[in-house]
Amino acid sequence: MNKFFIKKSSIISFIFIPIIFLWHPNWLGFLGFQPYWPLLWLLPWSMINGSINGLIFGFFLGLILDSLTLDNNFTQMPGLIICGFLFGRVKLHSDIFVGHFRYGLICSIGSFLCGTLYFLQIVFRNFSDSNSLMFIPAVKNILAEVFLTGFFAPFICSQLFRMFNFSKRKL
Amino acid sequence: MLGIRRISTYRWWHKKKNWILFVVFLFLVFVKISKGSFYKDFYYLISKPFWPGQFQKEILLESIDQEYLIKFNLLKKDNIRLRQILSLQESSNNDHISAAVISRKTGSWWRQIILNKGSKDGVEIGNIVIGPGGLLGRVSNTSLFTSSVTLITSPESKLGVWVDRIQINGLLVGLADDYPNLILYSKDADIKVGDFVSSSPASSLLPPNIPIGIVQSIDETLKSKKTAKISLLAKPQVIDWVQILKIKR
Repeated sequence: MNKFFIKKSSIISFIFIPIIFLWHPNWLGFLGFQPYWPLLWLLPWSMINGSINGLIFGFFLGLILDSLTLDNNFTQMPGLIICGFLFGRVKLHSDIFVGHFRYGLICSIGSFLCGTLYFLQIVFRNFSDSNSLMFIPAVKNILAEVFLTGFFAPFICSQLFRMFNFSKRKL
Repeated sequence: MLGIRRISTYRWWHKKKNWILFVVFLFLVFVKISKGSFYKDFYYLISKPFWPGQFQKEILLESIDQEYLIKFNLLKKDNIRLRQILSLQESSNNDHISAAVISRKTGSWWRQIILNKGSKDGVEIGNIVIGPGGLLGRVSNTSLFTSSVTLITSPESKLGVWVDRIQINGLLVGLADDYPNLILYSKDADIKVGDFVSSSPASSLLPPNIPIGIVQSIDETLKSKKTAKISLLAKPQVIDWVQILKIKR
């Protein structure tokens, strides 16, 4: 049983992403904002399994998260697919200390990319309405998410990275 | 021979009594110039212990509350009766379903809550969700046991609202922010900070007169329309229990 959990730890942790996305724990956020959780899983997964796997799982994550949110007109898939692909091309760093902070930086850039793509969809969808009104809240949302994702990434990504590596070695 | 030196001579300021009289005179001049304000303030201080106390104030406030409650109920009955006569959209207390918030996304882009009542309990898509303070949003999706609510702060939310003081309809648009924007398609609309916004009687999506929020700031930079930021009365980030309102169509 224990062996099964070790082997499947990456898939089990994948199942927890939508749950934490829905759970939205306030004590892990700041002023109502949350880190962009899917990126924290996608980065170690893509770094270990490569760009194509990252792209596929980015797509899967986008599908699941889109089904959980009510915004029918906007999708998180493009951002997650691009991030999954790009994260797969990131090479491991020999210095562990620098590596931790690299996770933070990469996740922040990924979060910025996803947030911007989502905002662009809203802008194009509501092109005739109130684009100027959306701009300041959008910048606030993107920056808050970028900061929080970058803050949490060194802690969570490095743990997930170790976990995925361990489960792969056992396989 | 030394002459006798006069040590003292009588002057008026050598008498204490005269000084007292002088001070009293000055005081009276001050009272005259200040038009009795000193007396009034003095009276304020000495009469303070004898004012109507806090207890009396509480009794009066309670009476006022009761009076308002009775008036409110009478007006509500009148409103329902008149709506029935005019065959307008209405809602009754029998159509309320109480539900708990089991998931809450009130930050970032996604503004939604998930409730613990679903299609099994009779919740339908389009039902209105209200919380302490007023309107929260509309049910956009239901499963057997849960229902998902798009909050009025979501970028997907667009609702017709009513500004009661100036008797004008507007469009309330969510901006993925805690303060949705009210758009009035009239540059001449005399909207002011503090104006009360409720659901529009003309709206086909919402029952009328549900409190929504208060105008917090006004932006007049746009040429053809006025926009205003609305501070919501119901705070979705802290509400744990809500009521789902089934509207009759």
